[in-house]
Amino acid sequence: MVKQLSVFVENEVGSLAKVTRVLRENNISIRAIASFDSPEFGILRLMVDKTGEAKRVLTENGFIVKLTDVVAIELVDKPGELDRVMWILADARLEINYIYSFVLRGQSEPLMLMNLDRMEEAEKVLMENGVMVTEKLTQE
Amino acid sequence: MIWAKEETCTRAEMEEIQLARLKEQVTWAYEKVAPYRSKMEEARLRPEHIKSLADLKNLPFTVKKDFRDHYPYGLFAVPVDDMVRIHASSGTTGKPTVVGYTKEDMANWTETVTRVAALGGATSHDIAQICFGYGMFTGALGLHYGLENLGAAVAPTSSGNTEKQLMYMKDFGTTLLVATPSYALHMGEVARKMGLDPQKDLKVKIGLFGGEGMTEPMRQEMYKLWGDDFKATQNYGMSELNGPGLSGECLELCGMHIHEDHFIPEVINPETGEVLPAGEKGELVITCLTKKGLPMIRYRTRDITRLFYEPCKCGRTTCRMENLSGRSDDMLIIRGVNVFPTQIEEVLLRIPEIGPHYEIIVERINHLDTMSIKVELVDESQLESYGQLNDLAKKVRGNLKSVLGLDADIKLVAPGTLKRFEGKAKRVTDLRKELGLNC
Ligand SMILES: [Zn+2]
Repeated sequence: MVKQLSVFVENEVGSLAKVTRVLRENNISIRAIASFDSPEFGILRLMVDKTGEAKRVLTENGFIVKLTDVVAIELVDKPGELDRVMWILADARLEINYIYSFVLRGQSEPLMLMNLDRMEEAEKVLMENGVMVTEKLTQE
Repeated sequence: MIWAKEETCTRAEMEEIQLARLKEQVTWAYEKVAPYRSKMEEARLRPEHIKSLADLKNLPFTVKKDFRDHYPYGLFAVPVDDMVRIHASSGTTGKPTVVGYTKEDMANWTETVTRVAALGGATSHDIAQICFGYGMFTGALGLHYGLENLGAAVAPTSSGNTEKQLMYMKDFGTTLLVATPSYALHMGEVARKMGLDPQKDLKVKIGLFGGEGMTEPMRQEMYKLWGDDFKATQNYGMSELNGPGLSGECLELCGMHIHEDHFIPEVINPETGEVLPAGEKGELVITCLTKKGLPMIRYRTRDITRLFYEPCKCGRTTCRMENLSGRSDDMLIIRGVNVFPTQIEEVLLRIPEIGPHYEIIVERINHLDTMSIKVELVDESQLESYGQLNDLAKKVRGNLKSVLGLDADIKLVAPGTLKRFEGKAKRVTDLRKELGLNC
């Protein structure tokens, strides 16, 4: 599992920009970002290069930030690969809460980040089925 | 310990005392205080029209404005020369409210405060520290005289300099604290910072709280700081009605006993002035039965409560008033339901995931009143999932609905984003009023 940042944002103009400004000013690089549409408030999910520092500077700037776990997997970039992963999880009756993806610079294989209720179990079943589960994304 | 025999008399005995005193008091006010006489004349009433307690409801109200209109001595029934004490309370607007006490008034005031102290568990063995500001405020001297009369040792430490207060508390072996509930909580926190454990290093076992309402969550905090066996009661009064002594909680904590041989309580609909039956919520109106220097007949307190007449488990038979649930001035009427911001506050304080600050917006959308409430998250604990946040908003809405009977829109916001107030907080924006549509 890897750590992502979950940042509370209100649903109003400029709320995401306030987060990205703090990261820019502190020279923190965003690897992946996801937010889901909701009427009132939202949780912004971020994968950054310096997770601990990002939490500190965002908190200092009045944001509430939680470090949460996600399972990170490296996919082989070929058709049907994500489908195979999804069926491994479905067959194991593991429910996915949310999922987002990104590609690391200088690397061709896409990375998928997903949050599930039973993450350790998910990692185990994925590894047993030959899926590359990675533990380090933020240290490079 | 029950201080006075009047606290346990039967309803019939109490009503007999009340009627005799009411007749005397109305006659006294009519004869001695010009504004009372002119109000009664306008209402075509004379003192002899008061034949039973039920006739009380026909008498005109007295309001805060009467004090301002007749500043400083216009409501006094005796020359100021016959007064032995004068207090004043400064309002937020206009002239202060001036109150005077004759020697007899002082004795009655002291008697009722003594009962309040006894209600809260105080005895002659207590060492009492009074952390109310002395001066023109009635709270400090009121409790001071009452506790002395009870036989307790009174240390008038007044307010401020919390560390010194705690030093006295420790060195004197103080067993009883008189303060506002928020100051008592503050003291407990400062004690901890100074390295004192209030439960081990201090002997305080009784808190008599006043000056502001104590909510149930505050009382729970009190137990956490001062110990589970701490006796935390609150009492109620206002300078227009002597000061403290009007009513106080007993150790059963089921409302504040009113000293009915000195004060007749009524609860009215604040909109219409109509008297409501026992158990219904409305504005408290008090008639003083023994005040000679400054008679008070049907004084509108602007405080919202309910009255209960069933005898209490503590053995007293006096009427109990529920802990205050707001000021009539702050009451909102939303879809015909009376709502007090304090009711909302009480609900919010019980939900640990959100902070104590809030903002209420009432508006009229498509001819329907709607209320939306912004509340702050306290920390990141709810950020695991959107569902978790949504469940929290639902919980807030559900708890409010069960207390108010109304649906409110809940908007969660980040900590520290709502306005903070130093003085009186303005947490309600009623857009219906501001648009002139409140009809
Ligand atoms: Zn009682």
